[in-house]
Amino acid sequence: MLEHEATLEIQHLIADCKPGDGDLLAALHRVQHHFGYVPKMAMRVVARQLRLSEAKVYGAATFYSEFRLIPPPETLIGWCSGPACRIAGGDRIRKVLETELGIGMGENTADNRLGLNLAQCNGTCAHAAQVWVNGKVVGPLAAADAVKLVRDLKERP
Amino acid sequence: MPSYDELRAAAELAWKAVESPRRPLFIVSINTSSIAAGARETLAALTKLSEGGAGFDVMQTGDTGFTFAEPVVQVTLPGGTSILYGDVTAGRAEAFAAAAATGVARDHALGVVSGAVAGVPQLAELDWMKIQVRWMMHNCGVIDPENIDHYIARGGYSQFMAASEMDPVALIDVVKGSTLRGHSGSFFSTGTKWDFLRTATAEPKYLVCNADEGDPGAWVNRVILESDPHLVIEGMLLAAKASGATYGWIYLRDEYPLANARLNRALAQARERGILGANALDTGVRFDAEVVRGAGAYVCGDETGLIASINDGRGMPKIKPPFPAQKGVLDKPTNVNNVETYAAAAMLLRVTPERFSDVGTEANRGTKMFTICGEAARTGCIEVPFGTTVNQVLAAVGGMAPGRTFKALQQGGPLSGLLPAHIAGDLPLEPEPFRPLGAGMGGGGLMFVSDRTCVIDLNVMFTWFIEAESCGRCTTCRGGNQRLLEILRRTSQGLGQDGDTDQIASLAASMQFSNCFHGTLSPTIVNNTIKYFREEYDAHALEHRCPAQACDGLIRYRIANQTPAVAEAAAICPVRAITQSGGAWKIDDATCFRCHACKDVAPDDIVIEDRYQDAIPLRVLVPADVARSG
Repeated sequence: MLEHEATLEIQHLIADCKPGDGDLLAALHRVQHHFGYVPKMAMRVVARQLRLSEAKVYGAATFYSEFRLIPPPETLIGWCSGPACRIAGGDRIRKVLETELGIGMGENTADNRLGLNLAQCNGTCAHAAQVWVNGKVVGPLAAADAVKLVRDLKERP
Repeated sequence: MPSYDELRAAAELAWKAVESPRRPLFIVSINTSSIAAGARETLAALTKLSEGGAGFDVMQTGDTGFTFAEPVVQVTLPGGTSILYGDVTAGRAEAFAAAAATGVARDHALGVVSGAVAGVPQLAELDWMKIQVRWMMHNCGVIDPENIDHYIARGGYSQFMAASEMDPVALIDVVKGSTLRGHSGSFFSTGTKWDFLRTATAEPKYLVCNADEGDPGAWVNRVILESDPHLVIEGMLLAAKASGATYGWIYLRDEYPLANARLNRALAQARERGILGANALDTGVRFDAEVVRGAGAYVCGDETGLIASINDGRGMPKIKPPFPAQKGVLDKPTNVNNVETYAAAAMLLRVTPERFSDVGTEANRGTKMFTICGEAARTGCIEVPFGTTVNQVLAAVGGMAPGRTFKALQQGGPLSGLLPAHIAGDLPLEPEPFRPLGAGMGGGGLMFVSDRTCVIDLNVMFTWFIEAESCGRCTTCRGGNQRLLEILRRTSQGLGQDGDTDQIASLAASMQFSNCFHGTLSPTIVNNTIKYFREEYDAHALEHRCPAQACDGLIRYRIANQTPAVAEAAAICPVRAITQSGGAWKIDDATCFRCHACKDVAPDDIVIEDRYQDAIPLRVLVPADVARSG
């Protein structure tokens, strides 16, 4: 997409966000919902709309773990970092995911098909240890289940 | 706009169809926990049967608290008999529906909600329910959270109507007199806080509802918001009446999308009916509110961090004073309470201040909600009187999971501590008894930990979480937690040193100079561990042994039996550490990264043993990436 078209699109998305009204997070959420991540050029548009410096918008976007600065993969595996998952072997699952995929938390595979993100506990602890595959809870998982899950996802056409 | 009485009359008509339905009514719990267990598929299966002429109707509700039995379905028959059922997965829905619509589906029955059914216990008589007093949860798993009529029919917004005729000072006196204190973990007097805002001189005044429930292992606020969002709105309306606030922000963590949807719908419905707006239900109270979605920052649970997040985007906590009551959102006077506190304020008036005072303890009247997770037999959400002991809760949830012994309680998230079973068990659940132990009760999470869990490993996890979630402003918190984590990681790798506990004590002391609670409370768990689990600490640091056999650096995997299962184990190993030579399988210890997958596949043939059982290393070099890796 041409940059100025994208700019117009973002301006339209955040048209009702006002300076000095506590709207920065809402604006970033809308951008992420639309694009799947927060592109750098969007920060410039948000900054202009809210009459903030670009540094301030960048500061906010990087303060929170939920805002992505890179495009999302086709399949995002969220690894739950909570304590109930930890005592059910969650840390082993993290090692399995990272090793099998060859990427770290917050990264995508080179072909952009699979990605990992570090997720915060949402209280579905009855399913510990768990991961979320595109938002859907999968668990309880043993480490071997996690290996199979990733291998299945990798082989999926 | 209709009057409250008109709204109530219409609402009661709608509610009657739920209470005494003409056809069997299947009420499916749809909440984040049940969705994880497949409740949406159950709802779809039952709806399909209903639409196909099965002769029953389907409705959704929020969260019954019976998380361990999800997907949960309540079935009310035309005669009024109502039974709560569990484990109604989509695959079993058809057989279940056939039995439940005509009588009772015995395989699934949890308890009878109303009426009497031979062979099925009364729900109220279950251990799980017997210790509970469900006030804030009175609508949870009962009403459709997306239907304001259900809320109004069951007495909703009547407390606001009654309070709207009171003088604000009289209303605040009632709240003060009830001893109601913030349920988020700080336990500051709610009435006093409302009075700070009432007496603030600047205008306009604002309310914030802290719904940034970031403590991992706690989902109390989520249960309320997903099951009864109007209760929180009514609580905020009461606070608005008492303090003169005209606008509110509900700061909701982004991990709760269903709560976001239901809350926004509730706000819209309240606006449509004139409950929110320029003149709420013709009472002269002007109030409206919006939801602000957080984006994943634990430190925004601190009220100044939360306000900064709304104002500036970055949720950096600020030094008080000025307090929020003087300078909060958009620099105007602001009152911050959490979800459960607003709900408790509304319920305090609903059950009457007299009855409220009869429940709980001298210092803490009323009830508190808790979520139970970890290695207890059952997971779920309960509401009990303040002062109920931890052991009473554990007994009610069926004790520990089979084969596990209660070793420690992790209550209230990363900043509240870790207490051994022999001390935690007898503790009454109210904030005061926790403080002399160097711990806190926190906001409602109760994680039961067994002897299979290593407290050092848990310590690494929590300290890592706290370090990662530090806003980074105060050196004491940022650097202190980095150093703390290094020591703990070393220890879990078997490289603890003699003077580590002194170093930790010194770090903990310096962290008290941090600006916000995140920093000052961050060494709570490590302090608790050294105080109450010293033996375990010493086993790691001095004997290079992890008693629970959980810490990576202190265990090794070995093949005990050469069986076909080991070949499968070799195939599952992500790092190909299991190789065959001369017909025998062996694990290369240097390659093995202790993921446990092999033992999952060949549990009887692969054993875990202490890594240094033959020789304790006198000197092991720590690779830099081990000490620092995330």
